[in-house]
Amino acid sequence: MIIVVFTIVTYLIYLLSKKIYKKIIIAAFHPLLLAPILLIVLITITHVSANQYLQGSKLLSHMLAPATVAFAVPIYKNLAIIKKYIGTIAVSITVGTLVAMISTFLLSKLIHLSDDFIVSILPRSITTPIAMEVSKEIGGLPALTTVFVIITGIAGGIIGPKVLKWLSIKTPIAKGLALGMGAHGVGTSKALEYGKQESVFSSLAMIFAALITLVWGTLLTTFI
Amino acid sequence: MKIIGVILQIGFLHVFLFLGIALKYFIPLPIPSSMLGLFLLFVALCCNIIKLEWVEQGAKWLMAELLLFFIPSAVGIVNYQQIFSLQGIGIVFLILISTMIVMGVTALTAEKVSAKRKEEGH
Repeated sequence: MIIVVFTIVTYLIYLLSKKIYKKIIIAAFHPLLLAPILLIVLITITHVSANQYLQGSKLLSHMLAPATVAFAVPIYKNLAIIKKYIGTIAVSITVGTLVAMISTFLLSKLIHLSDDFIVSILPRSITTPIAMEVSKEIGGLPALTTVFVIITGIAGGIIGPKVLKWLSIKTPIAKGLALGMGAHGVGTSKALEYGKQESVFSSLAMIFAALITLVWGTLLTTFI
Repeated sequence: MKIIGVILQIGFLHVFLFLGIALKYFIPLPIPSSMLGLFLLFVALCCNIIKLEWVEQGAKWLMAELLLFFIPSAVGIVNYQQIFSLQGIGIVFLILISTMIVMGVTALTAEKVSAKRKEEGH
């Protein structure tokens, strides 16, 4: 019963947030920022604890798993494009994952993060279920990693389009790969606003980033 | 009618998720079961074991509403008081700066490599 209520309430607030964001396109009103804030306000008013809410909304977070499986569909449908651009995709995403891990590591050192925070933040640029897995493998805290993945998504969804504009990125492949690499699923849903090609490349970037980060993660655990 | 179709197809996608969970027992690598499920569905589509129409609508809905599934975890951030401290602000800036660098470098690399490949093609 409680699952039904929390699922419906979350869904309605999500729809409302999307509507508001469509009217007022300001970064602070991004659905991934606005919806959680509205929900936190709502559960505080109604005296529901965060853990009760998390239990009740399990069905929705569970959906990330079949959604990951679903990405086989765009890969299958775009096999010809993948074959054509496999070189560009592989090079860009290998560079992207390396830059993500190195820049995160150096910046973490700069602000003196503790070691368990550092290993938990390293896989932040990949999609949640896979980031949690990598985090577990390299000795991080999966729940903390989820938080960093979410912040990355929000940051990427907001700043991504601006970065692409500043660097005057024109091609759909560069736009898509950057969004999927930098901000996983959130970037991919942003890419959908640009166009079909962008969203295909973004989904591909997300999957490749996850795979390549898994490789880095395995290497890290083997050699450290 | 369309909603029922989408729900049924999401149910069908779970078959591949469960197969992925089962396969994970036999593979000693740190690959998540959802990723194995993705791989199995891809193989099933390629080998014509299942038809694209059986999963297409469900997959489309799941991918279009991806943001929705992140919302509960985002609410869960309130459990991490540290995020709301001074160090938390540092972490948010770290992520913001690193994400900008990652996106910028990835986009520039992609444009360079794809332009080069085009030239070679001529």
